Order: sequence, then C-alpha cells, then structure tokens
Amino acid sequence: MAAALEGIGAAVESERPGEIFFSVGGLRGLYGGDVAGVVAVAEGVVGAACTPVGEAPEGRRVPAPLGVAPTRTAARAAAERGLPPVTPARLAGFLGSLPTAVLLDRLGEPRRASEELVTALGRLGIDTLGALRGLSLDQVADRFGARGLAALRIARGEEEPLRPRVPREDLIEEIELPEGIAGSRLDRALELLVDQLLAAPARKGRTLLGVRLGARLCGGGSWSVDQGLGRPSAAPGVLRRLLVPRLEDLPGPAEALRLRVLAFGPPAADQLVMEVGGAEPRRRRLGAAVREVRAAQGPDALLRVLPVDAASRIPERRDLLTPFPEL
Amino acid sequence: MAGPRRLNEPRPVAVRAATDGTPRAVGPVAVEAVREEWLVEDRWWTPRPLRRHYFELALADGRALTVFRDAEAGHWFRQRA
Repeated sequence: MAAALEGIGAAVESERPGEIFFSVGGLRGLYGGDVAGVVAVAEGVVGAACTPVGEAPEGRRVPAPLGVAPTRTAARAAAERGLPPVTPARLAGFLGSLPTAVLLDRLGEPRRASEELVTALGRLGIDTLGALRGLSLDQVADRFGARGLAALRIARGEEEPLRPRVPREDLIEEIELPEGIAGSRLDRALELLVDQLLAAPARKGRTLLGVRLGARLCGGGSWSVDQGLGRPSAAPGVLRRLLVPRLEDLPGPAEALRLRVLAFGPPAADQLVMEVGGAEPRRRRLGAAVREVRAAQGPDALLRVLPVDAASRIPERRDLLTPFPEL
Repeated sequence: MAGPRRLNEPRPVAVRAATDGTPRAVGPVAVEAVREEWLVEDRWWTPRPLRRHYFELALADGRALTVFRDAEAGHWFRQRA
C-alpha cells in the first residue's frame, strides 16, 4: 500500500504496522489544488491496493480509512472516526477531545511505559489530551519525565515532521552459468552481467552507489557480498574492477550470478550538467595533468587506492591499487 | 601496470619464536612486548585454507610491528593490520 501511495507521488512515513502517514501539501498542486482531490486519489490507490485479486471493482471497499489533519495523532483519530479533514484552526479543539489512550501508539517503545503513563494520568483524572494540555511543562517534566513531555507535545499539536521512507526500487540482473565455469571465464561472465545491469532500462541513466553480487551455488544455497562504489558511477570498468576480485570469495561452484543495485546515485547526465560551470575546467586541467605525468613517467605513474572490502579481516583484501582513471 | 593489485600484501620476515610460538625477536631486534594476538581463519572450505596467528609487537628499538605465522606454510610475515 505504501508503494501504491508513493506511486501517486506521496512521501510516505511507514514506521509502524497498520498506519501510513504522508503530507498532502505537495500533492495538492498535482491533484486539483485542494485536499479533497488528494484524498480522492489516495482513496483510489489504497482501495485498489486492498482489493483481493478477482474481486469486482464495484464490490471493493476501502478497509484502510484515510484521515486528514495537521498531526499524526489527529489524522489517525480522524481516520478511525470517519471524520472530515481537521483544519489547523480546529486542531486544538479536536486534539483536546481525544482520550489519552491515543498516546499509546504515538509514544514509541516500550509500550508498557506508555501504558503506565496513561494509567498514571487517569489516576489524576486526566483522561483527555485537553486535560493534559492544561498542565504546565514543569509539572509534566517533574511528574512524568521525558515520556510525559513527549505526550504533552502531542496534546499541543507539536509533532515532529514526517520522516518519509526512501522508496525501494529493485533492479536485479542475473546470468545463468555453464556447468563447471571458473577462473577467467567466470570473470567474463561477471563482466557480461555488469554490462547487462548497466544496460537495463530501469536504471534510467542513473549512476550506482552500491551493488550486491550474489550467486546461486551448484550444491544448493546462495552467497552474496555487498560492494560500495566509493562515488556514484555507471562505468563498466569501475564495477568490474571492484567486483571481479570478490569472485575469489565464492565458497563453491555457482550455477548463476546475480547483481542487484543497492542504491542509485544521480543521473550521469545531471553530473555532466553540474560540471559545466566550475568543475569542468578543473576536470580538463586534471585530465591534462594525468596525461602529462603518464607521458613523462610511464603508464604506472598515477595510481589510486580503491577500498574494496574495508571490513575484511584479511588486510590485503581491503584495498586495491588501481590506475588513476583517465579524465 | 597490468591491472589492479592488492595493497598491503604480507612480506616475509625472520622471526625467532619461543616454543609456545610467541615471537622473541624480529631479525636482530628483540621483542619487548606482545601487545595483542589474534587468529584469522578463512577459506577453510577450500583446498587453500588460510590460517594466520597474528601478533602485534613492541620491539626493543621502539617500533611497533604486526607479524603473523602462516599455520599452513609455517612461515612468518609482517603486515600492516
């Protein structure tokens, strides 16, 4: 469902099971300019995401209600009660009417501590957020500590900004291996796999920040290793240089190799655009310097240290000395 | 340069060790103290297993040095750990 909402452009916070929050602010411009337009679109995608396969569209319902309000607590309460959007002007009154039990889901772990707080508030006759709001900061801090202060902030409508998750996007390429492949033929297979990954349309021209090299083993089971690239890159040579040495760690013969993108960097074209201003002349000068030094001192004159497995317990596996790239 | 090469490869070193395997001297220089020691085992499932006993040493001339004994070959190496 979170992915469905992200599909309409929502930046989704999904930290607890059963609830998803997103800001309607940025979406209003996309969907008619008002909150109702955003809600209608969101209800559509949520309903579709909740519809069991095969159920007729007209028979579907929205089992996940939507609520609109300036804070998480108010939005969830509005959703559960089927209320219309709570405007900022109505927020204080709406929050004030809510029972302190709504804090149980908002104060984080351990839940037991939140239950004790709500129980203690109840013993003092404080059953609503409105009553809690009547206490001063000092009173709450003295009696209930940090958790009490967090509860007071919620009662006042002062919640932290949303923390949207980073949408997950899978780009995986796999190559089947002939039986008994090893050594340079295995390296070649990996090079083909790298080319395949970089050519995948789903990459959309973006650079890569990290990849996971994995293998299905002939004897059953699997193996994988994560490899960061150090800096965004979509150069086949960079990936090959980093990944080929990792094949040495394969625990046995493999029947398939797999490459998965762990994180994308900016599109390569964007990087070029950024370089046009200040960085491009510097890059040109650096490129000329590299060529000049190599012409004078030989092709091995300029090298760089490339971290490949910084956490390895075997010191010589941590870094590679590679030629400084031509610019 | 043919291609990438590893950094910090182990280099052979002459070590005189006590009967329990603890280094007593590296070349002509006596070992003042063993600061730390640890074992690294890897690739035990392959035909070329890797078993190393590392020692971080303080030498009598003031240098700090890390050496290891390759348990497979029985040779000593120094390496920046």
